[in-house]
Amino acid sequence: MSTATGVVPVLALEGVSASYGPYRALFDVTFAVPPAAVVAVVGANGAGKSTVARVVSGLVPASAGRVVLKGCDVTHRRAFEITRMGLAHVTEGRSVFGSLTVEENLVLAFRRALGRGGLAEALERAYEVFPRLGQRRGQLAGTLSGGEQRMLALARVLVLHQDVLVVDELSLGLAPVVVDEVYEALGTVRTGGTALVLIEQHVNRAFTIADSVVVLHKGRVAYDGDVAGAEERLDELVLGGSTAKP
Amino acid sequence: MTEPVVATPAGSGPIVTRSAGSGPTVTRSAGSGPTVTRSAGSGPEAEELLVARGISKAFGGVVALSELDFEVAPGEAVGIVGPNGAGKTTLFNCLLGVVPPDTGTVTFEGRRIDRLPVWRRSRLGIGRTFQRVELFHGMTVADHLLVAVQARSSGRLHLSDLLRRGGPGEEELAAVASMLALLGLEDVADRLVDGLSLGHARLVELGRALMGSPRLLMLDEPSSGLDVHETERLAGILADVRRRQGTAVVLVEHDLELVEEVVDRLCVLDFGRMIAVGSVDDVLANTEVRRAYLGTGA
Amino acid sequence: MTTLLDYAIPGVPFGCVFALMAVGLVLTYKASGVFNLAFGAQAFVSSLAFVSFVEDGWPRWLAGVVSIVVLGPALGLVLDRVLFRRVRTASPLVKLVPALGLLIALPQVALIVAGSTPDIAPPSLVFDAQRVYLHVASVPISGLELSVTAATVAVVVALVGVFRFTPIGLEMRAVVESPRMTELAGVNAGVVSAVAWVLSSCLAGLAGVLLAPLYAQLDPQNYTVLLVWGIAAAVVARFASLPVALLAGIGLGIGQQVLAGYLPAGILATGLRPSLPFFVLLAFLPFARQRQVDDPLAGCDPPPTALVGEATGYRAANLLARPSGDGTSQPVAGWHRALTARVRRSAGGAGAGGAGAGGAGAGGAGAGGAGSPVHGAVDRLTSRPTLVVAWGIGGLAVLSALTWVPNVWLVTMTQGIAFAVIFVSLTLLTGMSGQISLCQASFAGLGGFVAGQLASHFGTSVLVGMVLGGAVAAVLGVIVALPTLRLAGLPLALATLAFALLADNMLFPNSWVGNGATGVTVPRPELGPVSFNGSHAFFVLALVVLALVAAVVRAVGQGRMGRLLAAMRGSELASVSTGIDVHRLRVVAFALSAGLAGVGGALYGSLEGSLSPDAFNYQFSLVFLVVAAIVGLGSVSGAVVAGLVFAALQTEVATFPARFSGILPVVFGLATLSYTRHPEGVVDFLGGGVLRFLARRRRGDRSDGAPDGSGTDVVPAAGWAPAVGAPAATSPAGASGGVAVGGSAGADGGSRP
Repeated sequence: MSTATGVVPVLALEGVSASYGPYRALFDVTFAVPPAAVVAVVGANGAGKSTVARVVSGLVPASAGRVVLKGCDVTHRRAFEITRMGLAHVTEGRSVFGSLTVEENLVLAFRRALGRGGLAEALERAYEVFPRLGQRRGQLAGTLSGGEQRMLALARVLVLHQDVLVVDELSLGLAPVVVDEVYEALGTVRTGGTALVLIEQHVNRAFTIADSVVVLHKGRVAYDGDVAGAEERLDELVLGGSTAKP
Repeated sequence: MTEPVVATPAGSGPIVTRSAGSGPTVTRSAGSGPTVTRSAGSGPEAEELLVARGISKAFGGVVALSELDFEVAPGEAVGIVGPNGAGKTTLFNCLLGVVPPDTGTVTFEGRRIDRLPVWRRSRLGIGRTFQRVELFHGMTVADHLLVAVQARSSGRLHLSDLLRRGGPGEEELAAVASMLALLGLEDVADRLVDGLSLGHARLVELGRALMGSPRLLMLDEPSSGLDVHETERLAGILADVRRRQGTAVVLVEHDLELVEEVVDRLCVLDFGRMIAVGSVDDVLANTEVRRAYLGTGA
Repeated sequence: MTTLLDYAIPGVPFGCVFALMAVGLVLTYKASGVFNLAFGAQAFVSSLAFVSFVEDGWPRWLAGVVSIVVLGPALGLVLDRVLFRRVRTASPLVKLVPALGLLIALPQVALIVAGSTPDIAPPSLVFDAQRVYLHVASVPISGLELSVTAATVAVVVALVGVFRFTPIGLEMRAVVESPRMTELAGVNAGVVSAVAWVLSSCLAGLAGVLLAPLYAQLDPQNYTVLLVWGIAAAVVARFASLPVALLAGIGLGIGQQVLAGYLPAGILATGLRPSLPFFVLLAFLPFARQRQVDDPLAGCDPPPTALVGEATGYRAANLLARPSGDGTSQPVAGWHRALTARVRRSAGGAGAGGAGAGGAGAGGAGAGGAGSPVHGAVDRLTSRPTLVVAWGIGGLAVLSALTWVPNVWLVTMTQGIAFAVIFVSLTLLTGMSGQISLCQASFAGLGGFVAGQLASHFGTSVLVGMVLGGAVAAVLGVIVALPTLRLAGLPLALATLAFALLADNMLFPNSWVGNGATGVTVPRPELGPVSFNGSHAFFVLALVVLALVAAVVRAVGQGRMGRLLAAMRGSELASVSTGIDVHRLRVVAFALSAGLAGVGGALYGSLEGSLSPDAFNYQFSLVFLVVAAIVGLGSVSGAVVAGLVFAALQTEVATFPARFSGILPVVFGLATLSYTRHPEGVVDFLGGGVLRFLARRRRGDRSDGAPDGSGTDVVPAAGWAPAVGAPAATSPAGASGGVAVGGSAGADGGSRP
């Protein structure tokens, strides 16, 4: 993927709509993520941010439109196929298997991708990036603190070098100092050439590392552009109820 | 204002400064109010609403709380902050009886409650909300409040309910109606809670806890998942409730803005110990706290 | 010592079979989150196939391979696909009912397919069953025992290998916690779940085939008994540890043989051995608390219309027709309107406010609902006078049945009413308070026995006996509730099942209770000069009893207790934190429910004239729960329909040719297929269907309603609108009550922001 020139987006949503049963959460959402770029997706509670992530990773089917990953139409692919194609989704809230140990969480992610041979090395690398996980490798992930759970979720992704990382509400419920740590890890991911889709309610942090911003309002894209423009119009976009596209 | 009581660095013994023999002397500066100096050595004082002494809890070898002391005065708002995994929720559960502490005593209004079941503590006047919203699935908002009224209204057997067929009493309905108005939930009163937004759901939890007119309200990360405006609204409602009912509040929260707006006194938990107690400004200015919790960036 | 070994060693093969069962149960539970009670039935199907193939002249090895390795897994996969996969994240009740339905239905389906029970004695898979191959500590080991033990050991070794050397074990545990998150880790959750089902189904088949020669004839009941032993071993293993399940199974096998050898003859010996699982369950269930790990991605699913319905069963009934101050019902107005109207009225504007409330109730001028012709009509249907007329017409129709219905069907209807009383007791316990009881038939049986014993020994009137029987059953309910207070969901269900077994084996065979196979005579009651000997008179009596019981349950549901029960069902943690004493509430609910079931049992006994323990053995408890759940636990009317349908089908099936005599369990078992889609029950679903239709018409093009982003935010907020599949839990007013909800649904839907 490092060969991509930046003209071809690594991930693109084209007119995507989605719904939960009778309730539609997304309307005609279109935006693109260039390779190795950071796109912040922001919006109020219930604006459809999480749904964007879920549609992209195949957890929620799109009812209309297309999701294109690395030039492939993945709209109707299942989640595990999309993951294997190189998209990682760190979900909102608890994003690790609480009933498995730290190491088992990692093994689960690595074994299929790397086989028995690459497993040990991958584990070692993960513990290198997050030494705290190494200390707790035998502990049930459910007993980890929120920040450690986030690190565990990120470790899976960091080691496997996915092309796109979608992170949903990374800072939610984390102490400020932990947010720092986790954002530091995101920086590492980015330098590794992975494109980031940051879904955040608290925009300040996300804006510091974002290349561009997508603002969702009531399931529609209210803004898609650079960070400066978003900051300027944020209040109006998120709160003012503007549904007009720029 | 006096200096907040500040801990020695974590790992080198007890955190809250205390003189070993005569019991700890905790000096607090309660927001803008008068400074209260109290001796906590001779057991729970009459003026304290809730006193916990020496609470310890370990889960399979992992220490969640160690020899923790904690107290709340009537009408006071205490904030508890701390890194994830510091033991905040465990402290809640130990005080409320959801999880039995390994050691320690809990006293509420001068009465030992650490052996009482959860529901008895609730009826004594401790209301709570949950970090992960716990609502009664399949019931409406109004029914949540009504349940809370009726759960406390009488301890008698439910035979009377068989005879008095049907609905709640006028007073109960009035109480529900005024709580709905207080929380601004009138529009969703008839909705199933399963379909509510998180902001509404947290308000319903708050309302349910308030229906029993608790002396103490314990809120576990009430702003988690709320957007800025919902959080502001929550803070406003909390202030309103405290003004009207004089309810004491214990607030576990990450949102420091909300904490600063609501609480009189702030406690910082780290690794199951209280590393600092004092007024919000003083505690947040403390370097130890900044290192453990806020990080350099804050 | 020799004697102990003499007893213990023959116990090992039994234990091995129990162990196979337990390992299979734990495996599926770990991999799919479903405690597959249909396991016993799967074992039976495989063994039936095996014996039938051998009877047809197949070589034993071929018959074994086909029935264990091909048929068993195929069946397991089908069950997973069409049934269990749907309910993976559902409530314990919704998971349990389909498994129970299959446990009842599958053997009968297999028997119908096979045509008849094979005539030959079931052969052994590998060795000659009877031949003694070797001696262990001078105890002869037959081919049967040898093959069972050897096969078990081989299977366990193979399983350990699979888990140790492939990622599948880890992936299974991940899938149990969250299939979606497992997929995000790049693992195909569907394949993992299928593998688990194949493995465990093989185990079921193996257990079935191995065990077949133990019995002279194949009988599904043997396999249900076997299942109970397996459950006990699985509970000892806390539903989690395969090695412990294995050891516990073997231990139980030895234990039961030793017990049988040492105990003196009599009820203690014959009763204690089958009751051993009960004691094991009761001792270990409190430790087998399932670690409730919620799927953090459950919100990805569309709002589970039906499952929401199941959970909300009683709420609508709570709100329906809550009487307002002036006596008019307010079926359309939701809570808030009722509330504001009443508050307004009590605040002083008496005249105007009251009129307003009445208007809202009768006219149904709900927000957005005004002016709709459909809704005008719907609301008119629900006004109090219309209801009275409807009830009147219904009542007259029922009474007129006395004149023209043939006697057979009159008796059938009376049976149905007696069953309805028992089902109503389930409505209260399971529907309203969310507690699963698998010993409801035991409560009913006890009520009947008490009434009969009192009548025959003391000449007590059966009417009095019914009340006393109910009272004694209520005491039994308390006895069941107390040791199980800390159990919920599946463990509670299993504990009550174990209790039913205990009652069957230790309580009912006594001459002073159920009097063994002979049973107890329960005469028809007399009331002064009036005798209820005739079927017409008894029919009327049964109707009155049902009406009383239904009134009690309905009053409970609408009153404070119903609200507290619903809260307890909604969240026990939140309930205690709100000051509700859930333990006492549960004991009261169990007592009340058991008491009502006891009355129903006495009524049934009096109708039949006598009652034997077999009439209410544990299997009936399973059937009762399945039937009541399928037809509708959410409402009293659902229970009444369930009773009538159950009795009617029984009567009808009696006229079928022998081959189809098992069709009734098949019907109910297959109906569980519908249950997984509509856990609110057929009655409420059909009612809800009408409402959904009406609501949809009203909402028209509103389908692109407000977008809600987060997964927790997607269940539409239209109150208790059945438009989203929340059930119109109908009041006893039945369909018309349901329609009232529809009116409200439309109204609320229209006002949705």
